[in-house]
Amino acid sequence: MKLFDKDFEEIFYSQILSLLGGLVGGTLLAIYTNQLLMLPGMLILLPGFLEMRGNISGSFASRLSSGLFLGVINPKKYNTRIIRGNFIASFLLVILVTLALGIVAFAFSFFIFGIYAIKIIPMALLAGLLANLIEIPLALYMTFYLFRKGHDPNNIMGTIITTTGDVISIISLLITMVLV
Amino acid sequence: MEQKIEKSARKHPAHRHLKKLQKIKRKHYHPIIHEIHKKHNISKKTLFYVKEYGPHSHIPQTIIRESLRILLFASLISSLGGLTLENIKNIFVTIVPLIVALPVINDMIGNYGTVISSKFSTMLHEGLVKTKWWKTSELRKLFLQIIVISTVTALLVSAMALAIGGLSNYFIDVSAVTKITLVIVFDVIILVCILFLMAVFAGLYFFRKGEDPNNFLIPITTSIADFGNMCILSILVILIF
Repeated sequence: MKLFDKDFEEIFYSQILSLLGGLVGGTLLAIYTNQLLMLPGMLILLPGFLEMRGNISGSFASRLSSGLFLGVINPKKYNTRIIRGNFIASFLLVILVTLALGIVAFAFSFFIFGIYAIKIIPMALLAGLLANLIEIPLALYMTFYLFRKGHDPNNIMGTIITTTGDVISIISLLITMVLV
Repeated sequence: MEQKIEKSARKHPAHRHLKKLQKIKRKHYHPIIHEIHKKHNISKKTLFYVKEYGPHSHIPQTIIRESLRILLFASLISSLGGLTLENIKNIFVTIVPLIVALPVINDMIGNYGTVISSKFSTMLHEGLVKTKWWKTSELRKLFLQIIVISTVTALLVSAMALAIGGLSNYFIDVSAVTKITLVIVFDVIILVCILFLMAVFAGLYFFRKGEDPNNFLIPITTSIADFGNMCILSILVILIF
């Protein structure tokens, strides 16, 4: 069993990249902590919101990877039935999950802390859509690109999504906070 | 050249069977799967993927039906983690390097969850996982690789967090370095082990049920990573500090 192989390198270097991305995301969050905390329910929404991009875009990239490895998906064709279906499903999931996250954050704030923060629901929905408008096409493009270059997207995509997702999600939340 | 390959593939007798298989409703197991697998030596996993996302299936509906419940569950778990954030915040405020490390550790653990889940899903699809999963050499190798990488990266995070903490006037001595490093390294290793076991058991369960593990494993492992990270980290802080 060869432990230090290509897989090891791919996972290791993508983790190093993720460390830097995490620091950027953490710094961004630290800078705008006061603004984000101003809205009641935001701390309840935040972990689920940040995690959502991994759950939806990550599963999207993982499904594509399985299809690419099995030869069911052609790495040179973007406009196919399977990819369109995956795309639509991912966006519908974003709408449903962000709506649920918003409602849960609202419910917890209302029933536990006694704060009526209805604004958190449209904010979660809008920020989720905004973040995934960038995140999902990026996941599609990167999975295909990595596969065509001979890499295993399973080793790298998780990190790319988490790293870019932190920054994109926090910026989307900040933009939406100004809009709503 | 590619067109020639496509044409010859269409002439292949298995192509006709694959088309037939795609038309079968995805909920019903059909003996044709076994027949094609036997006769044309096409992996059952490929046949499963073709049937799951074939022309007769409604792809968005299939994905949403399989993913939605688990995603909602993951959201609820994360929101509960968010609720604990207020309590954790009070403890962390005094330990600056841990505040710096918190988002990085969260990302790292989530990444390992995604890598473990997606690689294990692909292993299942490719038929590499044996009945006694712990004897699967690819799986053992993956576990060792993740443990080595997570230990090294946890040490790196500790060093970076201590350096940034030092810059922000946090008092750093040998005791602080040891405690913070221990908290981060133990937290990462404990969570990686939990995630690995969760991914294996949940992956096998969903795969045996005839569902695509890709749709379940990542939400499960990342929500456990998020929630577990906050819980284990706070326990370790209470124990070590």
